[in-house]
Amino acid sequence: MTVAYAFQWSVLRPAIGELWHGLRITLELSAASLVLALTLGLVVALLRMSSLRVVRAAAYVYIQVFRALSLYIYVLWIYFGIAGAVGINLSPLTAGVVALTVLNSAYMAEIYRSALGAVDPGQHEAAASLGFGRVRAFATVISPQAIRIAVPSLVNQFVDIVKDSSIIAIIGTSDLFGVTNRLVSYYRAPFELYTLVAFFYLSVVLVISALATFLERRLQRHLLL
Amino acid sequence: MTDSIIEARGLNKWFHRGHANEHHALRDVDLTVQKGEVLVVIGPSGSGKSTLLRCLNFLAPPETGSVTFLGLTLTRENLPRFDVSARLAYEKRLRHFRTQMGMVFQHFNLFPHMTALDNVAAAPVRVLGMSRSDARARAVEELERVGIADKAKSYPSQLSGGQKQRVAIARALAMQPQLMLFDEATSALDPELIGGVLEEMKKLAEGGMTMIVVTHEMGFAREVGDRLIFMDGGHIIEQGAARDVLADPQKERTREFLRAIL
Repeated sequence: MTVAYAFQWSVLRPAIGELWHGLRITLELSAASLVLALTLGLVVALLRMSSLRVVRAAAYVYIQVFRALSLYIYVLWIYFGIAGAVGINLSPLTAGVVALTVLNSAYMAEIYRSALGAVDPGQHEAAASLGFGRVRAFATVISPQAIRIAVPSLVNQFVDIVKDSSIIAIIGTSDLFGVTNRLVSYYRAPFELYTLVAFFYLSVVLVISALATFLERRLQRHLLL
Repeated sequence: MTDSIIEARGLNKWFHRGHANEHHALRDVDLTVQKGEVLVVIGPSGSGKSTLLRCLNFLAPPETGSVTFLGLTLTRENLPRFDVSARLAYEKRLRHFRTQMGMVFQHFNLFPHMTALDNVAAAPVRVLGMSRSDARARAVEELERVGIADKAKSYPSQLSGGQKQRVAIARALAMQPQLMLFDEATSALDPELIGGVLEEMKKLAEGGMTMIVVTHEMGFAREVGDRLIFMDGGHIIEQGAARDVLADPQKERTREFLRAIL
């Protein structure tokens, strides 16, 4: 038996204003998570390469733990679990940003680490032979090269953040996907709305990829010839 | 000439590649270089030539022995492990030590994200604390000295091997070192580019620079070298005046090596 699905594309017109608003929140929370994860990830990566075994081990555990489980679990654990147990009341949006940040900082730590490891050892030697100390060598010689190596992977990670941010709608945020879910139950037009929102996410990802290509070209223009 | 600039005593260096595979790269090496002298180091690959240079500037600290350079003695043992302020003081001395000892590498090791000019000016600014404009003026001077001031704005990827190595020499010279270490500086170059770089090294030697040159260029060794060391298996097998050793080696192992490469 088949039930005819009544397409009602007309609902998209009243819905679109709210979707724009949701998109803004998605972009804001993704950007916030990106900046925080980039920073925290760098700290974890540096700790991971510490000369102290205990510090290295702690960073290793951090990375393994936060890469082990899905974002879905962390969002619920932070928003309901921690909030209930410790009595911290995070807003859904804050809880979402925290979950995205810790999870992605673990991935970014590994991206940084492999990029730093990919810089030619001869660069360390050259800097040291000129009298650079470790910190100055890192700032002047090593990190600018590592960043160029890391950019493509970091951009992929940002794309993942934007896509995964839809998961935090589960705790009732007003991000793009949260708004869509509410509109779907109001208008009862899941096909139309989910299709439209798919185009929203797709557009954002394509714009990020285009910016990334531009950024990579700029960073490497003197390496290509 | 009794004015020694660098003295190494009892250097031993092991490389560990897992438990069972330990490589004794440098065995009880003693070395003295006089001010203004050009010491040439030759030997088969894996004989410890490069390791010797890396021990002298502590890029690869020797497990035993000491290096005395400009009145400062470094050993591995006097590296403070737990006292943080003593450790920082040690590292400061080591950095100063290295600023006075320029090194030129086989694979250039230029900083790929900087122009030729910035490659040369970077350490004077970041390490010596010179102003940017003074450092750039000095960098231009050094690039002129090695004949590539016209490439100042080029990135390493835009330069030929010979030009890269000249920039690397200028980069080391910009620190105004007392001693220059050359680690097979022409081994990675196209044959037709080798002569130009050797010419720069020769000019430097004639200008009175003290140099330790690891090389396979026997013509250069004979012409520019004052003294020569032949190494094999981490040992110094034979040493003497460069022309004498090359013309009339005393040890069978040296003869064998020279026969094979000439």
